[in-house]
Amino acid sequence: MRITKDMKMASVIQMNYMLIPVIYRFGINLGFGDKTVKEICDETEIDLNFFLQLVNTYHDKDYFPKEELQSIPSKDIVAYLKMTHSSYLNEKLTEIEDLIESLQHAEAEDEKYILLIRNFYEGYKNELTEHILHEEEVVFPYVLAVEEICSTGFISDSNKKIYESFSISRYQDAHDDVEEKLMDLKTIMIKYLTPPLNTSLYHKIIQLLFMLEQDLNYHSRIEDKVLLPKMISMEKIITELI
Amino acid sequence: MNNITIVVAEASYLIQKGLDTILKNLGDNQVIQKMDKAEGLFESLSTLKPNILILNPDLLDANAKLINEECGKLKACKLVIISNDDEAENKYSADAFIHYNDDQNKILACLESLKDDIDKKNKNVKSDEPISAREKNILKHIALGLTNKEIADQLFISIHTVVTHRKNITQKLGIKSVSGLTVYAILNNLIAMDEVK
Repeated sequence: MRITKDMKMASVIQMNYMLIPVIYRFGINLGFGDKTVKEICDETEIDLNFFLQLVNTYHDKDYFPKEELQSIPSKDIVAYLKMTHSSYLNEKLTEIEDLIESLQHAEAEDEKYILLIRNFYEGYKNELTEHILHEEEVVFPYVLAVEEICSTGFISDSNKKIYESFSISRYQDAHDDVEEKLMDLKTIMIKYLTPPLNTSLYHKIIQLLFMLEQDLNYHSRIEDKVLLPKMISMEKIITELI
Repeated sequence: MNNITIVVAEASYLIQKGLDTILKNLGDNQVIQKMDKAEGLFESLSTLKPNILILNPDLLDANAKLINEECGKLKACKLVIISNDDEAENKYSADAFIHYNDDQNKILACLESLKDDIDKKNKNVKSDEPISAREKNILKHIALGLTNKEIADQLFISIHTVVTHRKNITQKLGIKSVSGLTVYAILNNLIAMDEVK
């Protein structure tokens, strides 16, 4: 079901609880009573159009925003993506790490195997962190430079440098490796590891991994369906400009 | 999971959505591409290499000659014609036909029998089989951090053989990354933990 401006925010969350962190990244906190999406966006000074496109893209994998989203400035999209990045780095990844660590402390016998999981997770975390940093340091500045060139029709020296150093086509194939590791971790924990004594903690970790995976999928959907097509069409304009 | 890849070429959004739902019920498949225009259809098939193509002839103006000719070239790909033309069976040479009026069971039965055919062909890489002694040995070398070339040299086999083994191991275990395979190898005592670099 499509999320619209007149829906109550509470019903939106009832419909899909995975949106809780999403609206929080916009600065919206729970406890909104009977207020509608529009009312809350007005209150928090969030662009209603942008908000709707974003939650719908998250919520429905077949939702494909077309012309409307092209009108949203890339800098807003980038700002949002940066917020999700920091929530991965500062909250989600550490949360799972802490749980794995406490699992390790709780187990004397299986400690060796938990250590394997922990090392594997560390490897995954480093890779994801690296991927995120690459986006923040290379991809996003590129996006902003391209948008500036397009909107002003003028290429400054610094923007020219950035433009020539990267191309969005190189970005497209960078996503897969990181996802692979997370899937492997889940497979190993589900299929091959004898569960430790503290099963409830163990189950919780697996469930959190599933949720992280889902959230990451949503996140890359924004990048792939919104940012990427936008960049491709802007790159075309610039090629004509030069 | 998602062993069978499908391309849907259908202009009508309603029918596309309907097919989506049916294919979800069928399970074990994945629609890798949806097309609502004929342009680039046959070109993309040669790179996507789907197991099944579900095609509405109307997309190509019901040009039977063109369809039969182009689809005849698709060797490993099964062709399903979806149409409301009662004469479709006589016009097109396809592996299966779906009519607009078919009920759910008929469509499912039709797709299931296709799926079984494909599964039979693929049975040499059955995913639920345990890995063989040979594969265990290869896995051990992978876990020790050796490259394909090094493994080939040590075991006196070709790189190509190593790659094939790797593919089968990944498919059987459901683990893709080297570090994941390493964890599996340790858990199953193929290597000791302190052997890993």
